[in-house]
Amino acid sequence: MVAGIIMLPRRAAARVLGVIAITTCIVVFAPPSEATEISSPIAARDLQSIIDAKILRVAVTRFDLPAFHAHRFDGNLIGAEIEMAKQIGQALGVGVEFIENADSFDAVVDLVASGSADIGISKLSQTYARLRHVRFSKPYITLRHAMLFNRAAIARDANGQPPAAVLQKFHGRIGLTANSAYVEFAEANFPAATLVEARTWEDAIESLLVGKVDVIYRDEFEIRRILKNRPTLNVQFGAAAIVDQYALLSIAICDTCSKLQEFINYHLERTKNGFTLKTLLDSEIGK
Amino acid sequence: MAAPGNVGVRSSLKALSQSINRPSITLAAIVLALALGAMRLPFLEYLRPIGDFYIALLKICVLPFLLSTIPLAVRSAMVGGSAGGTLKSLLIWLLIALITVSAVTALVTSLIFHYLPADEHMIANVGALVGHSTDSIDVEFAIDPNGMPQSTVGMETGIFSVIPTNIFAALSLNDSVRVLIFAVIFGIGMVMTERQSGHSIFGALRHVQAVCIVIFDWFNLLVPIGIVALIAPQIALLGPDAFTVLALFAYAFLATSFLLLLTAILLSALSLRVAPATVFAALLKPMMLGASTRNTLICIPTALETLKDDLKVKSEICDLYIPIGFATIRFGTILYFIVTTLFMGALMGRSFSLIDLGLVAAFAITASFATLGLNGIAALGPLAVVLRPFGLSYEVAVPLMIIIDPIAEIIRVMLNVVINCMIPTFARSVRFGK
Repeated sequence: MVAGIIMLPRRAAARVLGVIAITTCIVVFAPPSEATEISSPIAARDLQSIIDAKILRVAVTRFDLPAFHAHRFDGNLIGAEIEMAKQIGQALGVGVEFIENADSFDAVVDLVASGSADIGISKLSQTYARLRHVRFSKPYITLRHAMLFNRAAIARDANGQPPAAVLQKFHGRIGLTANSAYVEFAEANFPAATLVEARTWEDAIESLLVGKVDVIYRDEFEIRRILKNRPTLNVQFGAAAIVDQYALLSIAICDTCSKLQEFINYHLERTKNGFTLKTLLDSEIGK
Repeated sequence: MAAPGNVGVRSSLKALSQSINRPSITLAAIVLALALGAMRLPFLEYLRPIGDFYIALLKICVLPFLLSTIPLAVRSAMVGGSAGGTLKSLLIWLLIALITVSAVTALVTSLIFHYLPADEHMIANVGALVGHSTDSIDVEFAIDPNGMPQSTVGMETGIFSVIPTNIFAALSLNDSVRVLIFAVIFGIGMVMTERQSGHSIFGALRHVQAVCIVIFDWFNLLVPIGIVALIAPQIALLGPDAFTVLALFAYAFLATSFLLLLTAILLSALSLRVAPATVFAALLKPMMLGASTRNTLICIPTALETLKDDLKVKSEICDLYIPIGFATIRFGTILYFIVTTLFMGALMGRSFSLIDLGLVAAFAITASFATLGLNGIAALGPLAVVLRPFGLSYEVAVPLMIIIDPIAEIIRVMLNVVINCMIPTFARSVRFGK
């Protein structure tokens, strides 16, 4: 290659050197990789920089989260979370841009942590792992953890006891969504269980229906939504709520954005937003 | 000694009561109640307060009647020297009845579900029914074992729940089982002190019993009204949709219940050597009083009167067994629990071997005792004891049973009344160890 360059006429060699120089510049000045960014976020980012940019960048999952956010037939986003983001933008006096290329809940947090988004709203639970990279607002809704369980399978293990006795110390196979907060929750709450991570929540439900797992684990809204939309499952499958474990659904905020966090908390406190389990279950978008 | 005028008034009252409560009128009231209930007319809800008022009237004298009748029965058995034989005979026939009822129920029901299995469509409909009738969360638990509130703290369980530590509290709470136990213990004590000192208040108790019977006679004049006012709104509660979905359960429950009712009447007739129609006509009044009030205890005076006066069963046996049997032996609940368990098995695809059926029957008998003192939906709690050993869901069963309970409760009480009435007729005719 070096020999090739030497053999080139002067004009062509200059063109090649130019390409090398541009490439070097791109490598040097391009945004750092995600891992690098998480450890060293842009320090200046906060409320004022968003107001100056006149745009609030909001990360949401690529996939729909019925009752929280979903894509309309024309591709536009709708739902309670979308309304909440727009209200925050309005309160800030800036426009809202939705970044919807996150394939998982963790990816939404990563977008915020990497600076690609200012906030993330996608039914995000606060977890220890996430709190290392981003801030969270106060919860806009608190949901109990819940399980949908195969009645026959749990009864087999129960040996005449109520199902709660088995579920409390569950040691079978738990289905859950990969890259979701529930992986961390399940590891902490059911250390003896085998976690079966499905790509999507629908896949996790399917694994319960075909008997690959005995239990699926998420929040009370999602469990009740399954039975509400498919009541025939009530005979074979039961719903259990965990009374001392809560999903604190909050807005992920960039790690340096303390003023923005304060602003959002004030907004949530003031508007209350109307997130309740009942309204979510009754939501047309939840069906 | 009663004045001739009083006797005349009482006998004319009794004649009027018998005239009003003759089988044709009772049956007509039942047909009318069923027809009105099936039509689900809105005005039926206005009948409910009338029915509740009637039940309240009937309850006035139940506990005083028990407190007077049981010591008298204990005395009658002990003084006559036949207490041991009577008790032995009653206990053996009771045991036979319990085994027969549970075995027949288990076998007949499993045969019905074998030939009429639950199909996918029905299972789907039942699931939908459960889904709409519950809040969708059927189990709550805490990861931290100390996280759940202890709801049973302070509650008396096991044998302590039937010991009458405070008879006045038991009376005020309408706790019939504790009152019964107190009455038996007190009756035995009274006979023993009577033997020692010669003093007794049995004469006063006999008077209390007579007063209670007179009051019951007054209220018996209202039985046909009570039947219509109580049964029609209850039937109307069960919508046709629910019945369609739970038809398989209803077939099994009704078929087994009527088989046992018929068998009990036939066996009683055989034992008493009278025509089955006579036994049926006699038992119709307590049976329908039970069906309308859905309360077995209320039927005690009427059942005693029927057995002693109409069917000529020995007073000593009836007085001893009927109050205790009606209060403690719940044949209807045993049948209900067995049918429910086998129905849940059919829904969830679980089959039962003969040993399983025996265990279901045994658990159902045990669980029926745990329902003592409970009525209506509260009495479904012990069903968990029968379902869970077979891996069947109590959480699915309860909402279904709540839906069908308006009808099931009527049938359960009818079974309690008729089968309990059968036992003294056998104890009367066949005495073990004699």
